[in-house]
Amino acid sequence: MVILERLQELLQTPLFGTSLSVGNLLWLVVILALSVILARLTVTNLRRALENRMSKNELEILLKLIYFTIVILGVVIALPNIIADLSGLLVAGGILGIIIGFASQSVVSNFVSGLFLMVEQPVKIGDNVNVGSISGNVEDISILSTTVRTYDGVFVRIPNEKVFNSDITNYWANVARRFDYAVGIRYQDDAGKAIGIIKNVLKDHPFVLQRPSPTVFVEELGDNGVNITVKIWSPARVWWDVKIELLWKIKVALEAEGIEIPFPQRTVWFPEPLKMEERQKVPHEKG
Amino acid sequence: MFGRHDYSFQYSSDCISFGIERDGDIHRYFRKIEGGVKVEKSVISQRGKIVVCPIEPVNLPEKVATYMEIDFDPLFLEPFSKTTIYLTFPIEIGVFVVAKKDIKPLDVFSFIPQKYSLYGPSNGGVISRWAYSPVYAAIPEVNPFECGVMQLTLHNTTREWVEVARALFEAYSMKIYYSDELVSMSAIMRILSSKTAETEFFKEPLVEGMKKAIEFYLGRDIPVVKHNGMMEWGLV
Repeated sequence: MVILERLQELLQTPLFGTSLSVGNLLWLVVILALSVILARLTVTNLRRALENRMSKNELEILLKLIYFTIVILGVVIALPNIIADLSGLLVAGGILGIIIGFASQSVVSNFVSGLFLMVEQPVKIGDNVNVGSISGNVEDISILSTTVRTYDGVFVRIPNEKVFNSDITNYWANVARRFDYAVGIRYQDDAGKAIGIIKNVLKDHPFVLQRPSPTVFVEELGDNGVNITVKIWSPARVWWDVKIELLWKIKVALEAEGIEIPFPQRTVWFPEPLKMEERQKVPHEKG
Repeated sequence: MFGRHDYSFQYSSDCISFGIERDGDIHRYFRKIEGGVKVEKSVISQRGKIVVCPIEPVNLPEKVATYMEIDFDPLFLEPFSKTTIYLTFPIEIGVFVVAKKDIKPLDVFSFIPQKYSLYGPSNGGVISRWAYSPVYAAIPEVNPFECGVMQLTLHNTTREWVEVARALFEAYSMKIYYSDELVSMSAIMRILSSKTAETEFFKEPLVEGMKKAIEFYLGRDIPVVKHNGMMEWGLV
């Protein structure tokens, strides 16, 4: 009984000279903790149920929305417990407010930028992007920052404000993209035959798109050979794999038909016979 | 080859051999296509089954598309007309393990080469599995392990002549049926204008007695969302 009375006393003890008691504060903490636990449970179960049914980007945005909605609801439910005469904290609160205001400038800026990024969606989770000087795959877009995994596997956290103000190149925003090759052949080779061979290689590759069809043409009569340009459209998600795979296949196919890639060559004309030749001739004449 | 089998299943032909071999308590799935790499997977199961059936042709060599596009020779349709044609479409073959009402894909392979295309512009169009088909007036004879037959009803809902030379289908809504002799789908293409159309699959076999294939993508999307193929970038 004594313990209970002591506990009741403790719970009713006012805090900081206000009418806010320890009990109120405890309730606030309990309700907030429960709301966070509930939010996490809901998000975990929803992620499990929906991960195969929605795109990762949409799912992450939905889950964040649900998480924060539950937490905010918890705050709203908990607030009546701290309705108290806070006049004692007004002066301290005012000064604290100014300090927090200055300190949280960049936080607010990142938060607002995060909201705009989620609405505008210049990048999505999983996209292959270039933000400022950072290139890689977008791992996560949270309220304050965007996480990118660079091609060499390094974790980079970029504040959302920086993402929002940077030049963004999204390599996966469009479903298809084009890449080019320059293939040189010797002057004595048949350019028409070479174009036919290259077209056959492209025709056999599943990810060289049927439409827009690839274009293969003689671009230039170069110093060392005839330069053939190959322009290929491929699904954006696999274009790099296709690019590194196809060039060698083209080379092998051309060489199999006797068409070779020319080495750099230069024909040099001399006004008089070379002395080296003359020296070589002398022993022959004597012998 | 198609159907539901127990773990003693093995199939062998000139170009492929696949099935299950028992190694103690472990079942080993193997598949060897002539000229291709050998695939082996271990299955720990006592009372499961193997299902081999045709599936949506958008998985090989890797999944980049959720649409299938079939090009055919141009057809001119008179206003408000409705006609039925038959087209062929490529199939992929799925091998599944089934136990206690749960299905898991084990392997996907195909006997025909794949080709992909872009329907529409690169900034708004879609990547699709592409194939060409002649237009048939009746069900053609095809190898059921390579191609299926689609009964396509062309419905010109406009008051003008329309030229059609391709059809785009959403893989998520394909209803494939199979028997030992035939793989089939039934669909309708509602032409809404000279440049737009909508395609939809019917849940009905082409021939009585055909079995319904496992829908590879059924569980991967929200069931209440209707998936019709929308053709907004032209019909030719």
